[in-house]
Amino acid sequence: MKNLALVSLFAFLLISCGGQKKQQQNTDSQPETEIVVLTVDDLYENAADMVDKEVIVKGTVMHVCKQGGGRCFLMGSNEEINIRVEAGEKIGAFNQEQMGSELEIVGIFKEVKTEADAHNPAGEHGEGDDHEHDAEMDEAHRIIAESEEEAEVVYFIEGLKAKEL
Amino acid sequence: MKIRKLLRILHRDFGYFIVGMTIVYGLSGIFLNHRHDFNPDYKIFITDFHVDLQQNSKLTEQEVIKALESLERKVVFKKHYINNQGFLKIFIENGEIVINPETGGGTMHYLQKRPIIFGMNKLHKASIGSLWKWVSDVMGVILIFVAVSGLFILKGKRGLNRWGWWLVILGIVVPLFFALVYI
Repeated sequence: MKNLALVSLFAFLLISCGGQKKQQQNTDSQPETEIVVLTVDDLYENAADMVDKEVIVKGTVMHVCKQGGGRCFLMGSNEEINIRVEAGEKIGAFNQEQMGSELEIVGIFKEVKTEADAHNPAGEHGEGDDHEHDAEMDEAHRIIAESEEEAEVVYFIEGLKAKEL
Repeated sequence: MKIRKLLRILHRDFGYFIVGMTIVYGLSGIFLNHRHDFNPDYKIFITDFHVDLQQNSKLTEQEVIKALESLERKVVFKKHYINNQGFLKIFIENGEIVINPETGGGTMHYLQKRPIIFGMNKLHKASIGSLWKWVSDVMGVILIFVAVSGLFILKGKRGLNRWGWWLVILGIVVPLFFALVYI
């Protein structure tokens, strides 16, 4: 019993290290079959056919949600062409340092059908007026909200894997 | 072996084991509580500056990098574009810069990870993949066990029957009061 603490700690470290390696392998490994990597613009051109399918898309990260990085927005040829990527459990979270980086995302392309699928960037995470604001974040939220309002159908990606290019 | 003795041993050993994670949950919990007051993950340095930019509608990467060299903080260029307001937006490592090309006035947001606490917050929020979620669940169960087993260790007037009972009630009443009044 006296050694329980040490044994448990050792077991925990073993599990953690093993998990980390496995996660890295998952991130690094490439499928051997030919894969088509779409740009954000390509994705929107074929949006109707892509719904609920697994897609691989690459783009520049134009915004990462500051409260935990639960989602990011990939930019296409300009700011108004952007797609929301939910990190979900598989990716975990995006980092603020990824802003401006090229990311390749594997995920399920989804259409926003319910309130639960939607994202209201102006009231991110249901925060009120006491939320810490800065001009850049407000500007990013404005662009995202405007492009969502202008779109007939709003899409997003449920992220499965993320790779920095 | 008597139940109380077994509880004492388990409470002691699991208690030692869970110290690290309790500190992680406690410390990151304080930072996350204040997420409306400051960014719990990053220190953000906001700097206004002025640079001389060539009046050119299509600035090249080299021209932008050259302009950034005049900044006090040395930054690493990632990418730039003209945003839909006509401002030059530059992504740098650990931040972003927006410059008005007409005036040369700009603002830089530079992020610096809070050492240690950044990782603690990630662990707390279980945002590092599926495996940690389950390990963290186990940690949570151990933490509950240590708390509950602690109730039954002491006998006598400082045990749960008398002194301990009132403190347990107090510890429940405080969050319950806030839950009933504010939720």
